[in-house]
Amino acid sequence: MSPTTLAHAIVAGVLLGCFYALMALGFSMIRSVTRALNLTHGDLIILGGYLGYWLWIGSGLHPLFLVPVAAAALLPLALGWQWLFQRLREPKELSSLVLTFGLSLFLQNGMLALWPGEYRLIASEALTASVSLGGLTLNRGRLLVAGLALAAVGSLHVALGHSRWGRAVRATSVDREAAALLGINVDQATQSTFLLAFALSGGVGVLFATLHYLSPSGGAELTLLAIVLTIWSGAGHARSVLGAGILLGVVETLTLLWSGPRWRELIVALMLLGTLLARAGGLVPRRSR
Amino acid sequence: MTPPLLDVGGIEAGYNDLTILKDCSLEVRAGEVVALVGPNGAGKSTLLKTLCGLVPARAGTVRLDGERIDGLTPYAIAARGVALVPEGRRLFVPLTVRENLELGAFLPRARARQEETLRLIFGLFPTLQQRQSVAAGDLSGGEQQMLALARALMTYPRLLCLDDPFLGLAPPVTRRFSEALGELTARGMTILAAGQHVRRLLRLADRAYLLEEGRVTLSGSGPGLLRDERLRRALLELTPDVER
Repeated sequence: MSPTTLAHAIVAGVLLGCFYALMALGFSMIRSVTRALNLTHGDLIILGGYLGYWLWIGSGLHPLFLVPVAAAALLPLALGWQWLFQRLREPKELSSLVLTFGLSLFLQNGMLALWPGEYRLIASEALTASVSLGGLTLNRGRLLVAGLALAAVGSLHVALGHSRWGRAVRATSVDREAAALLGINVDQATQSTFLLAFALSGGVGVLFATLHYLSPSGGAELTLLAIVLTIWSGAGHARSVLGAGILLGVVETLTLLWSGPRWRELIVALMLLGTLLARAGGLVPRRSR
Repeated sequence: MTPPLLDVGGIEAGYNDLTILKDCSLEVRAGEVVALVGPNGAGKSTLLKTLCGLVPARAGTVRLDGERIDGLTPYAIAARGVALVPEGRRLFVPLTVRENLELGAFLPRARARQEETLRLIFGLFPTLQQRQSVAAGDLSGGEQQMLALARALMTYPRLLCLDDPFLGLAPPVTRRFSEALGELTARGMTILAAGQHVRRLLRLADRAYLLEEGRVTLSGSGPGLLRDERLRRALLELTPDVER
């Protein structure tokens, strides 16, 4: 194997990983603030993708302009989901799984009824062109998506670490009751997290549709991806989600390079099992005593 | 006559089917230290949680400075100046000591006094100043209790509620803690402290209430209550190891 092939695989893996992180971010944010697991996460991305696709067909605009439109379109759903999540009984992790499993079936079947068997791709020529970078040939769309992912993770990291909003969200994530006792409006912190997470999912959906075919049931795989990255990243910091995404992306492209597509999912599943065994407790965040 | 700072009138509260507090009334005047003692399960913690809005009051009223605060969210009550050092401390364990303190000063009125309060806190507990960049979870039990009190002080409270402040503390830390509370009261802080360390609490307190099965059964001056036969029967014999 030539060094160029290897370098190419690694760079492609990093780009892919940035995109993975962007796709997982919303799931991880909601989990850390409410301890609930949102199994509809992937379906929301797909929904954002379909919205983007129809807007793109209808308007012919550059897909990037449709990202904020799809993001805004999911905001009402964020409020609905938050309303439902507030009514969950303890243990939240388990009851959220039951609730969102049902919602996920609802969304998938809804999309299947609206767009039966339609595989759609935003095949924008502006994004499919190749770019030559330091001797490597890369897809312009992938580069752009990775750049947006880095920008999103970076701004989220800064906002969480250095703003009043960020302090409120972090305190609410660690201990909701203790945060409320300090006068932090935990309901507002939760609501803003839902809005941001859903907007991210909607926007990411458009980007997803420029790279992969949409199908109404395609969301399950994306939810699984978000779960894997959230487990790997642990604390739910934007930075660690990015790290986990890049790790997964690189592992995936290297597995593809060395053993072909057959082993890809098996390797990822093995890595997930390994993490779960190493960190007993897995998805359940450690609670303060 | 000015209304008491805290006026609890006939509240009833509990969890699910369980009623813990039944027609419970008490008051705390500005500048007073009031102790709340009683056997395990009498409802001391539930009473403090009800004041702070963590447990809803099913009946009765809670007034702060004459204004009703029952029915408000915990953060709205905190914003009005009621702070609680909860059972089990509830620190933000992954965050540093400094971050915990800064979160205490989240509200604008607390933020405006942040530096002043920090000086007071570091004067009371110099250890916290030295260990500012340590994660709260890595502190010793005593230091964690100091941080929990300090974080509540950072909110610049008008009423400071303490739930079992001496629980699990080694004797030297308990003494340090009592001294700190003494210093705070000398500065005019209003304190409502519940707990099992009856003698130590009653010695600190201007007044005290005995809570039994969700009702106030006895009240009086702290030292006076300490000599009361009924209190001795209710508490001291049941919990022989409460004091060293």
